[in-house]
Amino acid sequence: MKALWLLPVLCSAAFALEFDAAQRQLKKYCVACHSDANPVGGFKLSVVATQESFSTQSRRWTSLANRVRNFEMPPKGAPAPALEEREEITKWIDSSLHQAACATGPGAGPSPIRRLNRDEYAATIRDLLDIHLDLAKFLPIDGGGGEGFDNAAETLSLSPLHTEKYLDAAKFIMDYASREYKSRMKIFTAPAASKILANFLPRAFRRPVSLAEQKPYEELYAIARKQGQTHEEAIFFTLRAVLVSPMFLFRAEAPNYTGAERPVDQHALASRISYFLWGSMPDELLTDLAATGRLSDPEVLQQITKRMLRSDRSLSFAVRFTDQWLHIRELNGEKAPDAKLFPEYAKDEELSGDIRNQPSLYFRELLVRNRPVLDLIDSTHTVGSSNLEKHFGLKLPLDPGRRKQPQWTELPKDSNRGGVLGMPAVLAVSSYPYRTSPVLRGAWVLEAILGTPPPPPPPNVPSLEEPQPGHAKTIRERLARHRENPTCAGCHSRIDGIGFALDNYDAIGRWRKEDAGKPIDASGELNDGTKMTGPDGLKQVLLNRKDLFVRHLTAKMLGYALGRGLTLKDSCTVDAIAAEVKQNGYSMHSLVSGIVLSQPFRMQSPTPGKETVKR
Amino acid sequence: MISRRTLLRGAGCSLGLPWLEAMAATPGAKPPVRMAFLYMPNGVNVANWFPKEKGRNFDLPKTLTPLAPLKDQITVFSNLWNANSKGGDGHYVKEAAILTCQTIRKTQGTDMANGVSVDQFAAKTVKNETPLPSLELGVTPVAIGVDAVVGYTRVYGSHIAWSDPATPLARELNPRSVFERLYRAASGQQADAAKLDTLLLDRVLGDAKRLRAQLGVADQIRIDEYLSLMRQLEERVKRASAGQQRTWKARAPIDMKDAPADRPSDHAEHCRLMLDMMALAFQTDTTRVSTLMFGNSVSNVSFRWLEGVSAGHHDVSHHQNEADKLRQYQLINEWHVGQFAYLLNRLKSMQEGESTVLDNSMVLFASALCDGNKHDPHKLPLVLGGCGGGRIDSGQHLVYGEDSPLSNLYVSMLDAFGAPVERFADSTGPAAGVLKG
Repeated sequence: MKALWLLPVLCSAAFALEFDAAQRQLKKYCVACHSDANPVGGFKLSVVATQESFSTQSRRWTSLANRVRNFEMPPKGAPAPALEEREEITKWIDSSLHQAACATGPGAGPSPIRRLNRDEYAATIRDLLDIHLDLAKFLPIDGGGGEGFDNAAETLSLSPLHTEKYLDAAKFIMDYASREYKSRMKIFTAPAASKILANFLPRAFRRPVSLAEQKPYEELYAIARKQGQTHEEAIFFTLRAVLVSPMFLFRAEAPNYTGAERPVDQHALASRISYFLWGSMPDELLTDLAATGRLSDPEVLQQITKRMLRSDRSLSFAVRFTDQWLHIRELNGEKAPDAKLFPEYAKDEELSGDIRNQPSLYFRELLVRNRPVLDLIDSTHTVGSSNLEKHFGLKLPLDPGRRKQPQWTELPKDSNRGGVLGMPAVLAVSSYPYRTSPVLRGAWVLEAILGTPPPPPPPNVPSLEEPQPGHAKTIRERLARHRENPTCAGCHSRIDGIGFALDNYDAIGRWRKEDAGKPIDASGELNDGTKMTGPDGLKQVLLNRKDLFVRHLTAKMLGYALGRGLTLKDSCTVDAIAAEVKQNGYSMHSLVSGIVLSQPFRMQSPTPGKETVKR
Repeated sequence: MISRRTLLRGAGCSLGLPWLEAMAATPGAKPPVRMAFLYMPNGVNVANWFPKEKGRNFDLPKTLTPLAPLKDQITVFSNLWNANSKGGDGHYVKEAAILTCQTIRKTQGTDMANGVSVDQFAAKTVKNETPLPSLELGVTPVAIGVDAVVGYTRVYGSHIAWSDPATPLARELNPRSVFERLYRAASGQQADAAKLDTLLLDRVLGDAKRLRAQLGVADQIRIDEYLSLMRQLEERVKRASAGQQRTWKARAPIDMKDAPADRPSDHAEHCRLMLDMMALAFQTDTTRVSTLMFGNSVSNVSFRWLEGVSAGHHDVSHHQNEADKLRQYQLINEWHVGQFAYLLNRLKSMQEGESTVLDNSMVLFASALCDGNKHDPHKLPLVLGGCGGGRIDSGQHLVYGEDSPLSNLYVSMLDAFGAPVERFADSTGPAAGVLKG
């Protein structure tokens, strides 16, 4: 879901619409085609004419708002509201929907079955068998959905390619494990096959396994023995089957037919928290806590969350969350800086590696040190290394014993490197591979930091910022002309200024004072008249809107934690967590524990599709 | 003296099948028909794409010049469009639907819906005849996340092959893994290894059934998907067993020493290697259906490595009628057509009996937009290479009435493939003039 409930951003329209006034607006533009007598597309405006319709017709309202927001409605040629009026209407719908959804408090929401994605699969195998292999390359790359992450249950579909690769990978893994001392220790925990399976299956399936479930595996072992395999061979063969079983490959939770929300099963909770913070299976402690029924205790959950964040395994959370949230992964694809223009990036793998890793390592330091989330906007420290020091043109107080190693380090005053906006990875990914773009950077900040992506450009947009042969105009001048066009001004007056403030960074994030012989002018103005200069000015503007940022970060992290798209109901949970984070001095731990303790994370909604059944 | 082979070669697709068959090495063993789709993102520079003349006597416009030596084995189309892709945004709606001809549902992922793509439709009809039902290839990784600006999950923009409305097929990106996959599929397994795999798959199917019974209705759908794919895999394992029951035979040997590099050095090499893999798959008959995406929807892969280009693909496609951008756009288009020509030439160099693999293939080169600047789904740029087993009346520029359905072409292609249908999506019949007679 888009950040639908977020209220006006960087925008001067301070007054909100009243219900009656808003209904009049809708009538004015929509009723010609959506009357009761002649409802085009089957949609009658009267269906959404009451206050209750925000609860009973929320899907209708959502789709209505989306179509208006995206310029699909009113259709071409029909009288249409101007951009400001359009946004007023959609914001009114969003906030009304939010209010209606929250009137009854937060809810657990869906928790669909999901396949382990390729990173989770690799990490789970690593922990299950204590082997360290680059397994992810075996499997196809997963797409993303929901809040933009590749762990979204809905988009983790299965292809013939997957099944084939799972079968191949299982063989490869077991062949490898058979030669590894550490893996063998994990497998051969007892002499008898039945005992080996009794120990292995619950770990692989991340829950207790009944004898009835184990028996077919014992039979498989017996068949393999009959075919002449040795005890060892037959064990490895049987375990291959375990790795291809849907009980290993999928995370499923037993349905809830009680008809009411209930705490999710303890072992399912162990998996939820483990895949959230470690991207892998629960360890022994989590499993024990689940088995003894103590994990759901909020006190215990809070303690365990802190412990899990301190563990090395939380690096995977930091990397997967940060790199997808900030789009850093694109640096390995379309956004890779042009090798000819930026050989220093392309040729120096140590530097480019440090650049790509900086945001996630920094995020992890904030987690472990329990720093305020606002340090993501600006801070006194960063993650630096001798390579980055050189790239920044700064002197950093690095540990002399390990200057090459990326590390938590204090920044000099006025360094322009605090927060993610001072990071080359962010500055590169919000540029073209071959040059900077104030438009891309502005749009990046609006989407990734504030969660308020600009609306799509209207069809047939006029020329943007490319230089025209013969016209030696700067990008700034061209964009200024662009904003004179009222169609463009609505959005570009909110995008461009932000981008200009970051113009002192080149396309790989180096500081520059001039571009193509002209001095950089890093001043920008927002559509509400706010003026700012340079990164410090921009960060001040963002910090003035810190509640917006915190809500967006909360929504992103909740979406990642739940591994699904957020619903209207979830927006109430986001509200509650964001408020708590604010009360707790914006601390990172309060954000993460707020999510772990939230209703959707700990609870399970009733499963539809079957009458209430006693189990 | 002119050999029969030379005669055939020079004559494009003009010779009918019966005669070909009469000369084939094994009498009656008609070579299989293959179907492939090459997808180029971002549309074309319209001025240099469509031939001016229609019919057989047409001059190749600038962008199509790499196809000159193959002119009698290609068919160029004008005025076909994909009506169901007209609304929505500028890219995802068009590109996800290029082979399905359906309107995708606007979603960030919770309820994806497209149609079944034409390649998968074809693949289902021959899935038991080859080791792999189909081969999905790509060059750039799946675009991650959702496009927050237009409100579509990028999964849509990263897949053209859909086995059912909610299931996009994962693509292989590494040429080396494709090769290994083809090699293994073609060489088959020892009978006892296959037996073991079958036992193993039986076991996991048992788990799937048990798990299914424990789940809510919505979750069961995922397990049904798993069950169906694992059953298919089990079928394939059984068929691929090197035992006597194996009816399939590789039509050409695969030699491990021809395995390509694991990591291609650049985009151009990467594309070439993937095309080589597609050609190898067709030559050996490991599969008869394949798709390749040169890039994802809205691809902005930098083409600065291409002489004369200074920007990314999507940027250049928004040319705003500026001469310099149009020039670069044309160069990028022409480069892609060059890749297409490369594949066709490879297939042409592969002899099977008295015909070539190209004679027995249909390779459609397609973009889902006409002028990228306008996100225009009318008058799509489409070129069909190959003769579809002698069924395609190639060597023409076919011009239809404005806004004729693209799906009609798919109806004709399915017919030539041996999987005739009355209708495909919004088709109104076969596309006139594509097939002979």
